[in-house]
Amino acid sequence: MAEAVLPPTPAPRARGALRKRLNAWFESRVARSDTLLLTQRNVYILPTRAGFTFAFTLLVLLLASINYQLNLGYVLTFLLAGSGIVSMHLTHNTLRGLTLRLRPVAPVFAGDAAALEAVLTSPGSARYGIGVKVQAARADTLTWIDVPALGQASARVSFVPATRGVHTLPTLSIETRFPLGLFRVWALWRPASSLLVYPRPERPPATLPAARPVPGGPTLARTADGGEIEGVRGYRRGDPLKLVVWKKAAKALASGGELVTRDTRASAHQELWLDWNDCGALAPEDRLSRLTAWTIAAHRAGADFGLQLPGRDIPPDSGDAQRLRCLEALALWR
Amino acid sequence: MALNLLSLPRWPGWRRLPREARDTLFLLGVIAWTVLPHVQHLPPWCSLLTAAVLLWRARLALDNAPLPSRWVLVGVLLLAAALTLWSFRTLLGKEPGVTMAVTLMALKTLELRARRDAFVVFFLGFFIILTHFLYSQSLPVAVAMLVSVWGLLTALVLAHMPVGQPSLRQAAKLSARTALLGAPIMALMFVLFPRIGPLWGVPQDGKAVTGLSNSMTMGSVSEVALDDSVALRVRFDGAPPAAESLYFRGPVLGRFDGREWRPQTSSFPATLQARANLRVAGPAIGYEITFEPLRLATLPLLEVTTSMAPIDGLRIVQRDDLSWLAERPIYERLRFRAEAHTAFRHGPVSGVLGLQDYLDLPAGYNPRTLAWAAELRRDPLYALADARTLAQVLLQHIRSAGFSYTLSAAPYGRDGIDEFWLDRKEGFCEHYAAAFVVLMRALDVPARVVTGYQGAEPMPVDGYYVVRQSSAHAWAEYWVAGTGWVRADPTAAVAPERISRGRTLAPAPGLIAGTLGTVSPELLASLRDTWEGVNNRWNQWVLTYARGQQLDLLKSLGFEAPRWEDLTLMLIGALSSLALVGAAWAWWDHRRVDPWVRQMERLRRALQRLGLPAAAHEAPRALAARVRSHYGTEGEALAALLEVLERQRYSPATAPRPDTRLTRRFLALARRLPVLAT
Repeated sequence: MAEAVLPPTPAPRARGALRKRLNAWFESRVARSDTLLLTQRNVYILPTRAGFTFAFTLLVLLLASINYQLNLGYVLTFLLAGSGIVSMHLTHNTLRGLTLRLRPVAPVFAGDAAALEAVLTSPGSARYGIGVKVQAARADTLTWIDVPALGQASARVSFVPATRGVHTLPTLSIETRFPLGLFRVWALWRPASSLLVYPRPERPPATLPAARPVPGGPTLARTADGGEIEGVRGYRRGDPLKLVVWKKAAKALASGGELVTRDTRASAHQELWLDWNDCGALAPEDRLSRLTAWTIAAHRAGADFGLQLPGRDIPPDSGDAQRLRCLEALALWR
Repeated sequence: MALNLLSLPRWPGWRRLPREARDTLFLLGVIAWTVLPHVQHLPPWCSLLTAAVLLWRARLALDNAPLPSRWVLVGVLLLAAALTLWSFRTLLGKEPGVTMAVTLMALKTLELRARRDAFVVFFLGFFIILTHFLYSQSLPVAVAMLVSVWGLLTALVLAHMPVGQPSLRQAAKLSARTALLGAPIMALMFVLFPRIGPLWGVPQDGKAVTGLSNSMTMGSVSEVALDDSVALRVRFDGAPPAAESLYFRGPVLGRFDGREWRPQTSSFPATLQARANLRVAGPAIGYEITFEPLRLATLPLLEVTTSMAPIDGLRIVQRDDLSWLAERPIYERLRFRAEAHTAFRHGPVSGVLGLQDYLDLPAGYNPRTLAWAAELRRDPLYALADARTLAQVLLQHIRSAGFSYTLSAAPYGRDGIDEFWLDRKEGFCEHYAAAFVVLMRALDVPARVVTGYQGAEPMPVDGYYVVRQSSAHAWAEYWVAGTGWVRADPTAAVAPERISRGRTLAPAPGLIAGTLGTVSPELLASLRDTWEGVNNRWNQWVLTYARGQQLDLLKSLGFEAPRWEDLTLMLIGALSSLALVGAAWAWWDHRRVDPWVRQMERLRRALQRLGLPAAAHEAPRALAARVRSHYGTEGEALAALLEVLERQRYSPATAPRPDTRLTRRFLALARRLPVLAT
């Protein structure tokens, strides 16, 4: 399978070129991996704005203590200073030692949010107030979790890929300010997994093209709408609703059974081709969008359908596997 | 709105409150606790405003109502500033500053919108805590403020636990842990941070604080006499002097303007003034003295102190009237050593012109007293009497003419001495001393008032002697040719027990103390002694810890001539090594593995030594099966242990730590097994 890697979702414009370059440099230092053990080497710490204000407050308290010769003032100042210094270690400790693991990510359509689920495991004490977000996202998108002692907790973050294709997952940042908020400790995590993004389905979807009889197939072909009833069978997922035998089904349901569907043979000989060339005069990406919408509709209708793309044909079939096959082909085309 | 405020909201119960409301109420409680001790210093409008704002905010939190607009806050703030200006005539200084800080803190709670606002509240809170120490640094205040700090830190921790509804207890535990871990750093910095003098002059307000002062009017000492707080503490090297010689000499007041006594400022050239001319006898008494903030430049030292240890950065000299005068008023606690002699004589032996200063009497005051003195002089018995005889006559008169000693004398008028000496005959030490001096002067004997403290209360707990403000005293000195100044304590003539036992008139005890005192006087006394002991230790170790003690510490650590630069270096050194320890711990912690993993690793290595393959991903159960298949019954014990381990680790009730006995037993068993042939 050809792996066409499209450029990842462009990040919102970072503040200033310097910051951008700094971020890029930081990111380049981080190796891609689906599990990450946070250690002293990959956890960063800086004072927050509140931390600086706290330092300023301490300075004022110290000056007041000196000027008024208040020994208890010294005690207060140094108690707060000691707590501040300890909080630096505690904040760092909140992240250090955690293991991050990424759950497998389900493919999504372009424009839909992809949910990344990170599982955080604590090897020892409980960890509080840990926020996870996509690094490029705004600060208010942080997902907050606590990790119990010797336990796990999972955080879901989402990001919206704009284009189809195979995307590398965005860099995640894990941060905490616990306990006093004077320091911000963070780590960057570049998951190694990639995310398959299907084309954005056309909305509203165009009507499906008509099914074609199979050329050279058995001559049992009946009328276009499915032909004579050959028999009935139990409802299978994906059976179109118009094939349900409602009278029989009502009886069957009343006696605790299940829906009953017409079993037509004709559909086996009708083939629905979702063809690149049927898409009119659309741009290639829009054609892919339409084909995606058709794939979804055809699958929902339970029809057998095949996909024809320039350079790639998928023979008709039905069911979930066929849907995935087609969507994947659409995602990765060219 | 007002009605709504008054109707009580339904209380849903502390546990059922929404998280935000609960956190806000907790923070409001902490703020109220922090501000509460200030109520006695704040103008009433500020206390009321603060209480109203806090209650309003609590109401808003309970109702989950929106906060008022910023304009309301600006309005209230401007009003508060105007009221502060109206109350104090200024916005600068301690009292207006505290008032504004408290108001600001209360108003800020109405603006808790973002995290930044919360931080402003916390930092203002820490600042307000400090302002309490401007008024009192006593142990109870310290404990109350420790609770405040704990509360504020807890609120801070709560603000950083955004998930779910963490319990207050949990947050309090976490903040206590932070503070306790920080305590060694605090102790280190407290001990080593070099104490330096005030960086710039701080305005000291002239608010009347009870204690000695540099002047005396009729009735001023009686206010002090009701104040039971500690003025100074003494510890004698050897046996303490007798109670009746425990005079602590403060300001000597020689100038009388009819109403007020002030220190003498002589108009005579220095050569003609009465010099100290101190002559001591007997052995010196060494003692250590600790002053509470005096707010006075004159140090009341034991009479008569001949030398005192120099205090770094403060020049103190002994004046001709034997009082010890510092270059500035003392606003800090002071502790130093000094030497005194209780047997001494002083003052010029023969008459000098400067003694004339001590004969001045204001014209037109107390005419009847002067007439009384003139009549005494006319008495042939005393016409040629010397100063000592005249003093004895006066003291005898006090003893016999129906004088009484009371704290609650009504104020005296313009000719106070007349009124006291001839009519009402009731008063306190200052009345007796002042009347005695006026009469001696009227009888042509140089005399002056000496103020200070008399008597000291021994503390059985720690051997200190405590002198309270209520021991403030005034006595007299008159000049005798051939001897010099002689002390006369007219109060002793009316209330001898006041001097001999050093006990003052006790003010009425409070309700609880009163009840306890009637039920069990011994218990009350011992409680009081214990409390005094604790308080004294607090004073000695925490509050009077200063440059001198720091340098002593360095000396005991082996520095020959310690300077404050050494302190700074030591502090930097100690903090750097602490930082190194912290970094080392982080490094060690980084290499630390889960104890379960470590245990498994050891067991695996033991199996590998036996030649059994044991991969990292294999569960103990799988390893147990392998041991059984290779060793059969011989390896049964080993396999069983592995299964126990599996249960310990993976059963629903997982043990918090691996069982080390199991590990040891496993290793011992593994050593006994033969190594498999590869």
